[in-house]
Amino acid sequence: MRDLSTPTEGSGYASAQVKDEARSPLIALIGPPNSGKTTLFNRLTGLRQKVANYPGVTVEKYVGQVQCNLERTVELVDLPGVHGFSARTLDERVTRDMLEGRLEDLSAPDAVVLIVDCTRLESQLMLVEPVLKLEIPTLLVLNMWDELEERGGNLDHMKLAHLLGVEVVKTNARVGVGVDQVKEFLSGVEIRQRGLPPPVHVLSNVPRGLPLPMIDAFTERRRRVDKVVDRVSFVRPGPARSTEGLDAIFLHRIWGPLVFLAVVLIVFQSIFTWAVPLMNGVELLITSSGEWLANRLSDGWFRSLLIDGVWAGVGSVVVFLPQILVLFLFLGILEDSGYMARAAVIADRVMYRVGLQGRAFLPLLSGYACAVPAILAARTVEDERDRLATIFITPFMTCSARLPVYALLIAAFIPDRPLIGWLMGYRAAVLLGLYGLGIMAAVVTAFLLKRTLLRAEPGSFVMDLPPYRLPSARSIGLRLLDRSKIFLRRAGRVIFAVTIVLWMLTQFPRLDAGPPPIEESALGRIGQVIEPAIEPLGFDWRIGIGLVTSLAAREVIVGTLGTIYGVENASDDSMVLQETLRRNLTPAAAIGLLVFFAFALQCMSTVAVMRRETGGWKWPMLQFCYMLVLAYSGAFIAVRVF
Amino acid sequence: MGSTAPESMSGLPKEEADVELRLGDIPLRQTVELVRIDLPADRAEPLLERGVLPGCRICPVRSSPTGDPIISVDGSLLALRRETADCLCVRLLSDFS
Ligand SMILES: Nc1nc2c(ncn2[C@@H]2O[C@H](COP(=O)(O)OP(=O)(O)OP(=O)(O)O)[C@@H](O)[C@H]2O)c(=O)[nH]1
Ligand SMILES: [Mg+2]
Repeated sequence: MRDLSTPTEGSGYASAQVKDEARSPLIALIGPPNSGKTTLFNRLTGLRQKVANYPGVTVEKYVGQVQCNLERTVELVDLPGVHGFSARTLDERVTRDMLEGRLEDLSAPDAVVLIVDCTRLESQLMLVEPVLKLEIPTLLVLNMWDELEERGGNLDHMKLAHLLGVEVVKTNARVGVGVDQVKEFLSGVEIRQRGLPPPVHVLSNVPRGLPLPMIDAFTERRRRVDKVVDRVSFVRPGPARSTEGLDAIFLHRIWGPLVFLAVVLIVFQSIFTWAVPLMNGVELLITSSGEWLANRLSDGWFRSLLIDGVWAGVGSVVVFLPQILVLFLFLGILEDSGYMARAAVIADRVMYRVGLQGRAFLPLLSGYACAVPAILAARTVEDERDRLATIFITPFMTCSARLPVYALLIAAFIPDRPLIGWLMGYRAAVLLGLYGLGIMAAVVTAFLLKRTLLRAEPGSFVMDLPPYRLPSARSIGLRLLDRSKIFLRRAGRVIFAVTIVLWMLTQFPRLDAGPPPIEESALGRIGQVIEPAIEPLGFDWRIGIGLVTSLAAREVIVGTLGTIYGVENASDDSMVLQETLRRNLTPAAAIGLLVFFAFALQCMSTVAVMRRETGGWKWPMLQFCYMLVLAYSGAFIAVRVF
Repeated sequence: MGSTAPESMSGLPKEEADVELRLGDIPLRQTVELVRIDLPADRAEPLLERGVLPGCRICPVRSSPTGDPIISVDGSLLALRRETADCLCVRLLSDFS
């Protein structure tokens, strides 16, 4: 594996010197997980990297520019959180390598900003000593000062600055208090002289060359930290009352799992109920704009391309934006509130039985949004074999790209009737079943993997539980906005391109009167080549084309069917996707198609990121074939059972 | 792991240090002092980094729905597995408060 996170030893510094001329100062932002590094980074740079209330959100370095004042900009690097410098996980290794100047594309920092959660000063200050060993300008940021004060804590930060010999700033990065002082520090950072020897291997939990067992090294360092903490008259904050109260419910023996279940049910039900009015709105907008356009264009190939091809194809995907947003709204609330970490605790026993680390639960959960960041987040999993197992089962988590496919097929084939009163309808139940199917496949796969290819001892599980925090409407709103942009951009690029190609294939070979009947077109011919392979599943050639195009990304099948049906029914301008589907697909085949999508790895970005994170083609190829076999046989069985 | 027994123990009365209490046996809300971690170094490190060090005060504040302990150390909340908790040797500090 030779990507950025694992540079070959000692190669970094020499190249850093080459990159030296005319660069701006580089400052590293480090600190324990969940101490607010990314929040501060976003404040300073104006960027929007992911912030959430659980440890291990950032797993890769990220560089941003800070405009300190009119004539001065510096570069700031956001890094994965670390508790120490053993670099047991890949994300921790990124941080250590960056600080020691061992990354190929970044030189060693000219200064560091060490940001800690000051409500638990003692354990967080354990990082100070190793960081000071780097002997570069350091700023200590006491973040979450608001929480310290609110819970009745205090400390003399001037004294702390004096004792440690570094500047100290109190901040509340969430609202921006103290950020200007951080900027002031950044503006004073000078580019370091490069004649110095590389600071390789300065950072470690155990001082090098000393024959101390690790435990003693820690105890002694802690003793020194305690001495400092005593002298700055640290008043430890009282317990966070709201956190205790909420945990009494969320981690209760009976209420805890019940609340967990209720949360899940509400999410699924609201995807079908809340999102519907919004969906109807978007649908109306797309159909009416399509009609408006159609009336203004003269009948010809361009009108056909735009209306039957692009509008029908892209439009049929865009309709699902509201459902995606509802999903992300819930994920956002869960992530920002601190509930995620509790869910991981509740699920840990299951993970343990399966043979996975409890830690792996958080990356897996983020797989419900998208598998790509989830696979990256698996870097926080300690054991390499456990990490691979986690990566391997991540694509079984139902990502948001499957949602349009599920929603379309469910709306077309499953009646809108209540199942358990108002609590849950048939549609939500089927959706839930599909998510469950993914989880089952993941559990079984992990179980098998951990007993064959990736055998390893179950690791230890230590999970930091952050205090509950009220998610801010602003941060959730921005997240939804960013998510919409990503979704629409994908619709505007991938799906747009695919629909144009598909439309063109439906137009040839030209007959005298115009385009051929769709079965005779190039697309139809291609489809008929595929058809025998999927006939046992009860799919016709149109679905076959959809399955091929959805290899790029799952939701492309919706756009594809939109275009094919759009061209086929060119006389009718309304969106006829659901009705046409009902005509072309038996209910059993529809279930088969749903099962196929629950299992198949139809996502090139996932394959690409897997290749990068596992360092080769072996795992992604194995994964792709395994999931394809599962999908095919699953659909084959489903068609016969239903 | 006897070699890593911290020197801080030497100051304790002998009979108290000899009582082999495990964190897993401690009732909720009873603060105890950590004496020793019976785990190989690489498994102990995540605990050490989070402030679970010999000499520190630990209070089990809750048990999770699956019966695993959630402890408070230096103001941090940590969730452990009971298998891990059974590897932490502790001694009593005070009676129920
Ligand atoms: N009350 C309060 N909350 C804060 C403050 N700074 C950050 N937070 C919250 O703390 C949580 C963690 O923030 P992040 O910026 O993601 O932390 P991080 O250090 O980047 O975390 P990792 O990337 O996991 O290492 C989020 O819920 C923030 O909203 C602060 O000053 N006060
Ligand atoms: Mg972060």
